[in-house]
Amino acid sequence: MKTVFVNPERCIGCRQCEFACAVEHSHSRQPAQAMLERPLPRPRIHVTPGRAYNTSFPNRCRHCDPAPCHQVCPTGAIFRDADHDLVLMDAEKCIACAMCAMVCPFDAITFHEQGNGMPSKVAALKCDGCVERVRAGRIPACAETCKTGALVFGELNELIAAGRASEGSALLSSAAHSQALSTRPPANVAGWRAWGLAAVELNMGVHHGRH
Amino acid sequence: MAGTDNISQFSSCNDARAMIVRAREEGIETVWDRLAAQEPQCGYCALGVSCRNCAMGPCRVDPFGEGPQKGVCGADADVIVARNLGRTIAAGAAAHSDHGRDILEVFGELAEGTTSGYELRDETKLRALATEWGIEADGRELAEIARELADAMMEDFGSRKSRLGFSDRLPEKRLDLWAKLGIMPRGIDRENVEMLHRTHMGVDNDYVNTLLHGLRTSLSDGWGGSMVATELSDVMFGTPKPVVSTVNLGALKAECVNIALHGHNPLLSDVIVQAAQDAELVALAMSKGAEGINLVGLCCTGNELQMRKGIPMAGNHLMQELVILTGALDAMVVDYQCIMPAVTDVAKCFHTAVISTADKAKFTGATHISFDPHRGLEIGKEIVRKGIEAYGNRNPDRVRIPEGTVEMMAGFSVEAILGALGGTPEPLVEAIKAGKIRGAVGVVGCNNPKVKQDTGHVTLTRRLIENDILVLVTGCSAVANGKAGLMMPDAAEMAGPGLREVCKALGIPPVLHMGSCVDNTRILTLAAALAKYIGTDIDQLPLAGAAPEWYSEKAVAIGTYVVASGIYTVLGVQPAIFGSPNVVKLLAEGLDDVVGARFAVEPDPEKAALLIRRHIESKRQGLGLPFLEPDSLQAEAA
Repeated sequence: MKTVFVNPERCIGCRQCEFACAVEHSHSRQPAQAMLERPLPRPRIHVTPGRAYNTSFPNRCRHCDPAPCHQVCPTGAIFRDADHDLVLMDAEKCIACAMCAMVCPFDAITFHEQGNGMPSKVAALKCDGCVERVRAGRIPACAETCKTGALVFGELNELIAAGRASEGSALLSSAAHSQALSTRPPANVAGWRAWGLAAVELNMGVHHGRH
Repeated sequence: MAGTDNISQFSSCNDARAMIVRAREEGIETVWDRLAAQEPQCGYCALGVSCRNCAMGPCRVDPFGEGPQKGVCGADADVIVARNLGRTIAAGAAAHSDHGRDILEVFGELAEGTTSGYELRDETKLRALATEWGIEADGRELAEIARELADAMMEDFGSRKSRLGFSDRLPEKRLDLWAKLGIMPRGIDRENVEMLHRTHMGVDNDYVNTLLHGLRTSLSDGWGGSMVATELSDVMFGTPKPVVSTVNLGALKAECVNIALHGHNPLLSDVIVQAAQDAELVALAMSKGAEGINLVGLCCTGNELQMRKGIPMAGNHLMQELVILTGALDAMVVDYQCIMPAVTDVAKCFHTAVISTADKAKFTGATHISFDPHRGLEIGKEIVRKGIEAYGNRNPDRVRIPEGTVEMMAGFSVEAILGALGGTPEPLVEAIKAGKIRGAVGVVGCNNPKVKQDTGHVTLTRRLIENDILVLVTGCSAVANGKAGLMMPDAAEMAGPGLREVCKALGIPPVLHMGSCVDNTRILTLAAALAKYIGTDIDQLPLAGAAPEWYSEKAVAIGTYVVASGIYTVLGVQPAIFGSPNVVKLLAEGLDDVVGARFAVEPDPEKAALLIRRHIESKRQGLGLPFLEPDSLQAEAA
């Protein structure tokens, strides 16, 4: 199953993914023209600030299976594309009731005027996994534009395994040498967060050591 | 360094393609690889809506509505785009003007008699300039005149005047207009400094006001810094006269020590030409097995040398890495501007010594030999000696020079053009009036890897001359058109019947080489002289400018001073302004009512040619000359 996997620690908040998403879903696919189109092409990915200063998370539809939005949609506007494991949206059938948005665990669905050749109406807008690009053998626009590796496209298990190989082994190899990680399990959320930051720092040290 | 399939889209030049293929084969990174790695490029920056001017930021405005519409300070897209464009103009103007100041400083020291390797080669021009600047020239010694002229010009860099010394070249109407608009350039450095001030947070928060100062800043370059550079270079190194030389990578000679002179400022390259003729150094080169010392030019230093010394040019901006890839370049001597930091990386793959010479332009991986005009010739010899030493390290098995060169004629200074016309602009004016020549267009500016190399310059130029429009070229455009064979008198055959007749009668090409990029001032001087001659303002003339492949901040300054001087200008690459439809509207429409000229952006050179032809016919109509209905003009079928 191919998907866009998020490495939040690599997100620098540049919002290039939002920009690329909006341009990809415009008619002209050229930034200077896209921003003059009406209705405006809107991004379906949103970079939201993290709790710590200068951290951020590129939030987009995770294309869940089963997808809560799919399950609650009363008009059948939301459907599953089995070929690409994507939850897609037919704006024409959408009645903008917002049930999908209410049940979405990631708040990834927004409502905007949409053109697409039909009389423009407000409808639910969500990530379509750049299905047209993927069919053409290209990767989704957000992953293509991301220069830091915060958004990567590939087989889910392979991406997870790659992360496990680097981060897991880094943690194990460093835990024994680290005061921050070898103390007792943190007692509260702040403690866990500090533990996580220390782990990320150590991890970066391991990465630098390797490359 | 991926596939080789798209190389034909990188360049229209065979010599370039051959070297790009070699780079691919040998895994050497070039500008096209680095562009691919950057893509897709930052959309906010491409639209000009990102601002890094203060530490409340960095900020960007979301052109797609959901994100922020204002920076932390409250600046909207209009203010941010105007600030960025203002700073771009200032950087470009600063580059040209600092180049001008460097020439002026050496000119001043030459007048004091403290330099080595320089002389006042054009006495007539020095006396004429002095007279223009209100300095008594008759019966005085040259050095004395030069000292006074240097002082007067230095004053133009300050802020103690209300207008520049070259202002009198302009028609009164244009000066009055600038005064009325409050954009009369006052001092070369002053306008740049003021632009940096205005674009500091909390100063000029009105985009129209900022852009008006952008016009003034650019004018301080075109009618100030660049003009000083052009005019004094002529005095010190000789006013260009038509000369035939050659162009492209075939200018390198396998059997010689090859030294490329790259950059913009002729101060150093002129003494290197002298040094390369030194009998001792030539003997040294021959003792190493070379047949001699071969100099080639790159970029604008190349243009400066070709038009004054007839030295062959290896190429323009996008050739700077590729010339090293021939394996036959022993030294690349650089001064400043447009020299990619990458040249030292490519040079590491070969034996080539990169020698930097300007203390303000050092390169990691280069040997720095600090240029000092007091020991000019001595330093020139030291540099040539380094090139000869590097020749000893050349591996003959790695030499691959693309064969063949193309002839081009360079050196059409305003003086040379007037000379060809018999000393008066009258024949040119008459040819324009009669419609044999519809108008004249400056096709100038850089290369940009986003455009297939030289295609923009050459396609546009061909279409214009085919339609009886005289083309004036500088910088990278001159090299492109030279390589395309459009710059020899026999290229008149490619021109329309009217232009062909005029070119043949005068023995000139339909595409005239007017120099380096600071020498765009020659085009300004010519345009102003024509306007004065027929008693009108520049914006009434059938003229246009084009920068089909521009990339640099300097090009933005040039485009802006050309427009502010009253000449319609078409850009082939989108500037970073489209995030503000208001700024775009002002530059592409509104300016017509302000300065009588505007910008257009048209990436397709065929369509650009059509825009320009329509503009020229509408100006002819305005002057009461025979004209073709502008809207009736169509692009030729390809």
